[in-house]
Amino acid sequence: MAETAYAPRRMAVSRAGTATRRRRRQAHRLVPLLYVAPGFLFYLTFVIAPWLQSVWISLWEWNGVGVATWVGLDNYAEILAEPALRAALLNAFGFIVFYTVIPIVLGLVLAAVVAATPWRAMPVIRTVLFLPQILPLVAVGVVWKWIYSEDGPLNQLLGAVGLGDFARAWLGDFTWAFPAVGLIGSWVSTGLCFLLLLSGIGRIDQSLYEAAKMDGCGPVREFWHVTVPSLRREIGVAATVTIIAALAGFDIVYVMTGGGPGHATTVPGVQVYELVFTAGRVGTACALATVLSVLTCAVMYGINRLTKER
Amino acid sequence: MKLKVTIATGIGACLLVAACAPPGASNAQGPAQQGPVGTAAPTSEVTLSLVSTPESGAAIRSIITQFEGKHPTVKIKYQDTNFDDYNKSLNLSLASAQSPDIVLLNSVGTTVKDNLVRSLAAYEKAYSWDKVYPSTQLAQWRVGGDGKTLGFGDLYAAPAGFSIVGVYYNKAKAAKVGIASPPKTLEEFDAALAKAKAAGELPVQLGNAEGHASFAVQLIGQSHDGAEKAATWAFGHKGSTFDSPGNRQGADKVREWAGKGYLPADANGVDLQGAVDKFTKGEGVFFIDGNWDAAKIGERMNGDVGFFAFPGAKATAIGTSVAYGISAKCANPDAAALFLDYLHSEAASAAEFKAGFMPADVAAAKPEPGTVMADIVAAWTKVNADNGLVGFNNNATATMGDTLTAATQELIAGKTDGAGFIGAIQTDWAKTHG
Repeated sequence: MAETAYAPRRMAVSRAGTATRRRRRQAHRLVPLLYVAPGFLFYLTFVIAPWLQSVWISLWEWNGVGVATWVGLDNYAEILAEPALRAALLNAFGFIVFYTVIPIVLGLVLAAVVAATPWRAMPVIRTVLFLPQILPLVAVGVVWKWIYSEDGPLNQLLGAVGLGDFARAWLGDFTWAFPAVGLIGSWVSTGLCFLLLLSGIGRIDQSLYEAAKMDGCGPVREFWHVTVPSLRREIGVAATVTIIAALAGFDIVYVMTGGGPGHATTVPGVQVYELVFTAGRVGTACALATVLSVLTCAVMYGINRLTKER
Repeated sequence: MKLKVTIATGIGACLLVAACAPPGASNAQGPAQQGPVGTAAPTSEVTLSLVSTPESGAAIRSIITQFEGKHPTVKIKYQDTNFDDYNKSLNLSLASAQSPDIVLLNSVGTTVKDNLVRSLAAYEKAYSWDKVYPSTQLAQWRVGGDGKTLGFGDLYAAPAGFSIVGVYYNKAKAAKVGIASPPKTLEEFDAALAKAKAAGELPVQLGNAEGHASFAVQLIGQSHDGAEKAATWAFGHKGSTFDSPGNRQGADKVREWAGKGYLPADANGVDLQGAVDKFTKGEGVFFIDGNWDAAKIGERMNGDVGFFAFPGAKATAIGTSVAYGISAKCANPDAAALFLDYLHSEAASAAEFKAGFMPADVAAAKPEPGTVMADIVAAWTKVNADNGLVGFNNNATATMGDTLTAATQELIAGKTDGAGFIGAIQTDWAKTHG
């Protein structure tokens, strides 16, 4: 309809005609934006705007209730100067080993083994491995706190097998608290990584394995040269999800140790919470959150670059 | 390209305009108006709301019932929240439109500075509270004009009951290892600990997951430095420092105790209630804790337990009061103050004592002779006679509790020495009071 209506004008090439066409083209270009608009509006209201607001607040000294004072970048300097806040950032990156590296390695091996030997009990294994993922993390923390406690099941087990000398209050020990808390992250993430990678293995072209076999590859070399490279994308997704969980963690640490002993297990999430609700330093809390979000984005950018299909 | 830039700039501009105001400035309010105050009960019915924590509010329900019986025109609605959540949300709820009228104050923090509670100066005068309570009992609720220095200035809360931290001891174990009577000096205390250790007993029970080793540091420190000097630091008076001979001795001593095995090896992984459980099961000859656990300890140990104020030339103790303030938004401050005044009445005092607190009116404390409660009342009386009550160090700043927890954990694990410990504490203090 529109085509016919405009047909005669198109014949007469005039300045006015080009202008109309340009406007029409522009209007057409705006249509996709309309589709995106509702989602974008929500994103803008609930993600971008609060983020910008917290960046703004990070430039003030404010206790959340009273009058705010402009301090510029002082809050950012405090993050570098205060041992507890520095420790929190370092610990968050340390947790990546437990939340990401260990689960992906374990998940890869498990998925490869399971894919190679189809078991009847498969659905049960899948469910058991995935279970920690669907439990609320606060409940997970409470249960593990009990397991690690001085007279908890772990120490009873150690005593029963004659290793009573190793028993200790795991979460109160400067050396052991960090790995003890970290391992729970591994326990939670492994199921997710396993499932992701298993579904990825199903997607790999079988002819690749056949070719590898023809070239005389054993199961181990098959794993290294076919399975792992083909799972690049799934590994990328697993790494993205679990690294965010490691960096933005709060529940498990808050419930189990509150960041102690000393600052051995503290993470930015716990520090932000303490800064706002105990210390009344909302500005510093926002500065720490901003630093964390920028670092997280940087890590995500790196992961995307590394795992992009070549 | 141009379109994208236009849209992005537009959105950015909108957000910036929305954000470019100092946060929270519109919420700020001036100090509440102080008009003439009345002490008579209201003639028409008034309903007030009171918020507290389950532990501190244990007696308040029965006190409210008695109060309402006496003043039928005042109704008080009681609500409690657990300690941690209470402290974290109090200022926000005071600033909100649904502010409660009477609030438990656990520490001054920034509550006074932000004009969230009323000055009680006029009511203190009208009801003569300065004559009802010894000066040290009110000092911690007096706040200077800067809103953060304590110990002088207007009164902001009225006490209901008091706590006292001292030393519990297992009578049977003490007799067994040859400790005949409670030690009178730090040297005697040290010698008693050595005796207990030599006899194969754990000398001191401790749970430090929440930083309760700070009690020991503070008690040793203030018994050496004197209550008055210790209080000026806890109250945040300019120029005072945590780096005193007493506190140095306290930090070194606690570290030494940990090194000699006088403290449980797993203390950092056990919380206060865990330590109470162990002590009542016979682990540990001595145990430093407050009167709030007295009922539990006395009952479980069947009377085989005693209590004394920390040894020293003068009796000193850590103690605070369960105290209530009035919201700046309270519409009926006169009625609220009438309730605060009722808190030191004989009936209220008896109810507080029954709930395990030392009452404002010591005459209302009638413990059964020979019980741990009798020891606690004796220690309380002695400490007050020596004017030796000092507020908790962890109330010195809003974050001091967390700082003391982390620092004492490092201290008893040998991760820091006495000087490092004292430095960490003073740094936190200086951020607020320096």
